[in-house]
Amino acid sequence: MDIFRYTPIPTLVLDCNKVIRQVSDSYLDVSYTRSRERILGIQLEDFFKGSNLPFLSASVTLEALVTAQATHRPCLLHEVVTEGVTAWSVRVVPIRHHDRFLYFIVEFNDTSEAYLKQLELDQRLTTNETFRILVETVKDYAIFMLDPKGHIATWNAGAQKFKGYKREDIIGKHFSTFYGEEDRANDKPGRELKIALRDGRVEDEGWRYRQDGSKFWANVVITPVYRGETLIGFGKVTRDLTERREAESRLISAYEESAKLKSEFLANMSHEIRTPMHGMLSALTLLLDTNLDPEQLELARVIEESGAVLLQVINDILDYSKLASGCFSISTDIVSVKDILSSVCRTFQPNTTAHTVMDMHLDPRIPASAEGDALRYRQIVQNLLSNATKFTEEGYVHVNVTLQREELDGYIILTEIVDTGIGVPPDASGTLFTPFTQFDNSATKRYKGTGLGLSICKSLAELMGGEIGFRPNPEGKGSVFWFTARLKRVKKAKVMEKLEETMAALAVASETNSLDELREIAKDKRILLVEDNPINTKVMVKMLKGLGFQFIDKAGDGRVAASLAIKDPCPYDCILMDINMPVLDGVGSTKEIRNAGITTPIIAMTANALKGHAEAYLSKGMDFYVAKPVDRKLLMKGLLKCLKLEELQEDEKPAETPRTEEPTTNGERSSGLLEIGAQDLS
Amino acid sequence: MKIPGAKDTIDEATFEQILEMDDDEEEREFSKSIVYDFFSQAESTFGKMDGYLEKKDLGQLSALGHFLKGSSATLGLTKVKDSCEKIQHFGQNKDETGTHDEPDDEKCLEKLKDTIAQAKQEFYDVEKILKKFYHDEA
Repeated sequence: MDIFRYTPIPTLVLDCNKVIRQVSDSYLDVSYTRSRERILGIQLEDFFKGSNLPFLSASVTLEALVTAQATHRPCLLHEVVTEGVTAWSVRVVPIRHHDRFLYFIVEFNDTSEAYLKQLELDQRLTTNETFRILVETVKDYAIFMLDPKGHIATWNAGAQKFKGYKREDIIGKHFSTFYGEEDRANDKPGRELKIALRDGRVEDEGWRYRQDGSKFWANVVITPVYRGETLIGFGKVTRDLTERREAESRLISAYEESAKLKSEFLANMSHEIRTPMHGMLSALTLLLDTNLDPEQLELARVIEESGAVLLQVINDILDYSKLASGCFSISTDIVSVKDILSSVCRTFQPNTTAHTVMDMHLDPRIPASAEGDALRYRQIVQNLLSNATKFTEEGYVHVNVTLQREELDGYIILTEIVDTGIGVPPDASGTLFTPFTQFDNSATKRYKGTGLGLSICKSLAELMGGEIGFRPNPEGKGSVFWFTARLKRVKKAKVMEKLEETMAALAVASETNSLDELREIAKDKRILLVEDNPINTKVMVKMLKGLGFQFIDKAGDGRVAASLAIKDPCPYDCILMDINMPVLDGVGSTKEIRNAGITTPIIAMTANALKGHAEAYLSKGMDFYVAKPVDRKLLMKGLLKCLKLEELQEDEKPAETPRTEEPTTNGERSSGLLEIGAQDLS
Repeated sequence: MKIPGAKDTIDEATFEQILEMDDDEEEREFSKSIVYDFFSQAESTFGKMDGYLEKKDLGQLSALGHFLKGSSATLGLTKVKDSCEKIQHFGQNKDETGTHDEPDDEKCLEKLKDTIAQAKQEFYDVEKILKKFYHDEA
């Protein structure tokens, strides 16, 4: 019986009459019983009489005993002793021999731990179940899980409602099914998962597609889901924003419509107001010439001044509304920056106070004339200068004009107005160019204006391909307002006419005449052929010889060509230039030759026979363009044109400046056939 | 057409311009030398192309395409010229017309491989025709 005495499970051993025959030490421990002898020999019912075990109720124990006795099988019963804290179980094992009960082994077990775990589990299941039901029944959101690879693992009612797929159709498919072709092609779904992993979340708005192929504008949030450290998938929540998006676009178009109507209204109104204003001001001018007494004169002057301001305001509004409605265009005429500035400065000179110095500094590189909108350039300068003089009571107003950049076909002119006036507070500098804002309401009262001037200037500068900006005067007090404008090089009409005549004359001559003429001209001309392909070189040499040339030099790339051509004077009368070449290409070579001041005609040859290329090469300093394979007639035409032009230039040169003495006369020439002449003939 | 069987392959006007440069219509010394120069140039260029194809050097392939395009254009060898132009474009990571970008190097290389093979075939075809024309069928 030692087994039962020392078993760690609290145990009682009963005989067939349910008399306690053995008690384990462990039982004595848990039941706080000191003496084994007081228990042994007692019938179990008597033992329990009137009292429970300290850990389990007597009734449960007896029930187990009765059941075991009745069923002949072990019986296990559980009891929660203290709700939510302790639980015990009792197991009665009946031991029989020859249809007779010999013993009953009664074991007690503390199951509190398992009981608590179960409790917790039950609770969690309830929570999960609640969430599951919540998610499944949500209809305004598609909420579902993806596995770590992006395959759909769960599906809810919302998902079914606005994606159209049934649960059984979609589970296991990849979520990229919902994306458009383009998104799939550039692996947007894959990238989204990567970002979600990296950032813990990804949100996106875009078109998604339903099962029937229709699309909706969706907001999508993807969140990775981890169990412990392991990624078990992604939660994906999709909202249908189609309606919101439609509402937005309706709002935007309504806004645009109203803005357009406003601008049109302003444009019309200002025009309508301007007409009577002009009538009034003209009448006022006449009135001022009549005999007015001093008081009347004073009043009339007030009317005149206010009228002038009002007219300016109306003009501003008119310009602004035209600019805002996009029906403002820049005209092209000849601009003389210097003349405009002198005239504007003259106008403002009287406005400056006695303590203010006004001067103008002009970059000598500014072209005497260029193509652009003189009126609008003037308007910007006028506006900026008017502000500068208005806000400067002492110190200076400088006007600086510099050539910021010279390009092949034009110039970028930077105009700066520097003053020592009241300046602009830092917090206002951001809204300077926004319409209808003036940085200081008190300023409005003191200095009249609409608050449109600078925003008009901004639009005008942008229309002229430039920018406008502000910075504080680095000398401490005042402001620097600057703007850039793009002006084009002047094409000189006279030269064009003359060249056109020459070309027309050339065209009239018949082909045989041209050939004879070319052969005549060619025989003492030296020509440079630049071509990297030996076969083409061979063919071109043969062709040129056939056209009467005897002196033909060859260069295999643009570098060699440049070093052969850049001599003083240039040994060639014409250069035939391939475009794509190793070492230095034809465009680069031409650039070097032109930069060295050499004006020898250059004929471009290339197989890149795309439209627009001809113009591009001409703008890069070449004079003529022949497509490859080189057509003999076209080449002939080009050579004649270029060689005749050379002669024309020679003839037109003033006698006192022979070419050899002044090889860089045309050094500035950088673009185009027509401008070669332009430099010389003007 | 002076050359039998050359329709579609050779541009008549361009090639005739070369033939007109011959001093003697029987000997055809000049044009023949040009054409045979081209044969060896094409062979060596295709050889280089194979090398750069191996090295996956798109830039060099484009340059070679342009190079051979130049001389084939001069001779009026239209088909070879067109294929060379495609080689030039693919080598620049463009589509065959040169209007759209094709940033995928591997795709370009795949297309280059096909186009170079095609150019070679077109070259061998026109070489046969030209050799026949110059009575050199050995």
